[in-house]
Amino acid sequence: MIGRGWLRAVTADLCRHWRHFAAASVGIILGVAALTFFLALGLKVRELLLVQVFPANHIEVVPRSADIDLFALRLDLGRDALDAAVIADLASIEGVDAVYPKMRLTVPALASGGESLFGSGLQTEIVADGIDPKLVAGQVGGTFREVEGDRNSTRCSRDEQCGDDAYCDGALSFSGGSCQPYIPVLVSPFVVELYNGAFRRSYGLPKINPDALIGLTFEMDFGASTFRPSGLAPIRKRMRLAGVSDKAIPLGVTLPLGEVRRLNMALTGPAAGEQFHSAVIEIRSKQKAPAIVDAVEAMGLEVRDRGARRAAFATAVIMVVLALVGGVLIAVAAAHILHVFYLVVMVRRREIGLLRAVGARRGDIRNLLVAEAAVVGMVAGLLGLAAAFVAGLAADAFAASQVPDFPFKPESFFSFSPWLLVAVLTLAVVACVIGALPPAFRAASGDPSEALAGR
Amino acid sequence: MIRLEGVRKRYPEADIDVLRGIDLTINAHDFVSIVGRSGSGKTTLLHLIGGLDSTYDGTIEVDGENLRSLEDDELSDLRSRKVGYVFQAYHLLDHLTCRENVSVAALFARGKMRREASRVRRRADELLATVGLEDAGHRSPTTLSGGERQRVALARALFHQPEILLCDEPTGNLDLETGHEIVEMLSEVHRTGEMTIVAATHDEKIAAAGARVLRLREGRFVGSEGGGK
Repeated sequence: MIGRGWLRAVTADLCRHWRHFAAASVGIILGVAALTFFLALGLKVRELLLVQVFPANHIEVVPRSADIDLFALRLDLGRDALDAAVIADLASIEGVDAVYPKMRLTVPALASGGESLFGSGLQTEIVADGIDPKLVAGQVGGTFREVEGDRNSTRCSRDEQCGDDAYCDGALSFSGGSCQPYIPVLVSPFVVELYNGAFRRSYGLPKINPDALIGLTFEMDFGASTFRPSGLAPIRKRMRLAGVSDKAIPLGVTLPLGEVRRLNMALTGPAAGEQFHSAVIEIRSKQKAPAIVDAVEAMGLEVRDRGARRAAFATAVIMVVLALVGGVLIAVAAAHILHVFYLVVMVRRREIGLLRAVGARRGDIRNLLVAEAAVVGMVAGLLGLAAAFVAGLAADAFAASQVPDFPFKPESFFSFSPWLLVAVLTLAVVACVIGALPPAFRAASGDPSEALAGR
Repeated sequence: MIRLEGVRKRYPEADIDVLRGIDLTINAHDFVSIVGRSGSGKTTLLHLIGGLDSTYDGTIEVDGENLRSLEDDELSDLRSRKVGYVFQAYHLLDHLTCRENVSVAALFARGKMRREASRVRRRADELLATVGLEDAGHRSPTTLSGGERQRVALARALFHQPEILLCDEPTGNLDLETGHEIVEMLSEVHRTGEMTIVAATHDEKIAAAGARVLRLREGRFVGSEGGGK
């Protein structure tokens, strides 16, 4: 066939019966729009859960809990911590690249400061944990590091005498102070989201840019509490915010592991230095994850973020069910296409006879009708994709103006990835072609002599 | 050359024997008229010769090829290479222009019959000029008179330079004067195109254009004028 002439013949046929095809296309348009809308929504939500809430290449392992509720209390009968031997066992699991233990600060702490940011000082109870700086080296660079080696006994009376990375501890004391390094800390993006979303509204504070927080300094009193006296001699240190990381504790601050270990040992005894509350396993590939999770559970431990995985799975299931509605619409539309093509073939009976008379083979007739169906599917599919995109924009605009900020609230709730668009468009074309195949085969198999006679 | 031997055709659902033993030989470049009333089997005979209908008894050979031995696709190829049709009802495609109607066979041409788009267009315009419709290329067939439509149909039949032109009541829907114009055109095509023409008609005056006239009645030839069987 000659391409241009053939295309002209196809489009001319479609234009002639455009009312029929337009009616048949409505179902395809709606189906494609619904399918694309829900799949794009599902993909984005899943991406949020798995990429931001549940980092893809890391699994956090915690002691298996065995909680029993007794009236108002919940008794924890399970293991409370991971020791060095367990950490070593985790590192030996096939497919594990590295194990990064985490240690929770086991004493209360008070944080105070923030005058430069809030206008007046803020003091709050705070929880903290410690992680290996290597775990976040790719995210925050070298500013989050162990600072034990930086300690010195240089005498000072002002911070300026200690350089950029240290402050003058005890500058106001009678005998003068000594230079001590700032302890680098990390906060979770969840903290920033919580502040920007709800906290700042309650206190009439400004919205803050997470990048502007880097370098913020504040003081922490370890072992101190306004809520319940600990009986410990508090240790005061000055912190400097080194970055925002999803590896940081969700509500609180994260310090270098060595710093937390030293604080725990200093305040509660040497044994506290070997008790880790969790460990982050870095896995070689996502495909290995299920086997590693199985091995972890066989060790009597459990994976903390399974809830996120379950949430992602549940979200995916809901989206698939909603997308199925779109799929059913497309299937119904394909049935409609079938009826329309039967009608069109009947109307064009003599014409098909004529085409056979001038030399068209059965396959040519079949291909002509299938090509028409493919064009219908392509046009309807593109319109459906456009409708889904517009609906997505409308939903995003609604969410931006009407839905309050919440942690991890994205700018767009939809992920219109190219492969999704291509796949749905292909589905629309295939559905139309499948719908047109039976009438196309019937038209092609007819006797040309009878077709010309209108029998 | 066209040769039919003992050709019978029956429509079992209507319980009718349309052709009852046709023996016929048509030499290359002949102009043969087949005359008979409606229902005498003229159209069926033309459809059988052109390979449009392959359910019959007997033997049909076109240019030495036994049609019964050809597959459906081969019959299509035979039509696209050697046979042109002119129908009483024109069978023009109203959604295409006259030029596109004339060149519609190019859509399905294969092998040596395939032409470039520019050559297809030039050939269609030449043929429209030949039938006196040089300005109708871009027009829709619906804007033409009956005679003009049949001329477009004739140009379509000649597009692929067939060896055999089968005309089924080519003047059946036309007034006498227009009918004569079409017959004149067929005679001209026969003279200049060196092709075999088989025209079925019920009009004796039209039939006289043929060098040889065969009379068909109730599925049998009952007379012949102008020589040959």
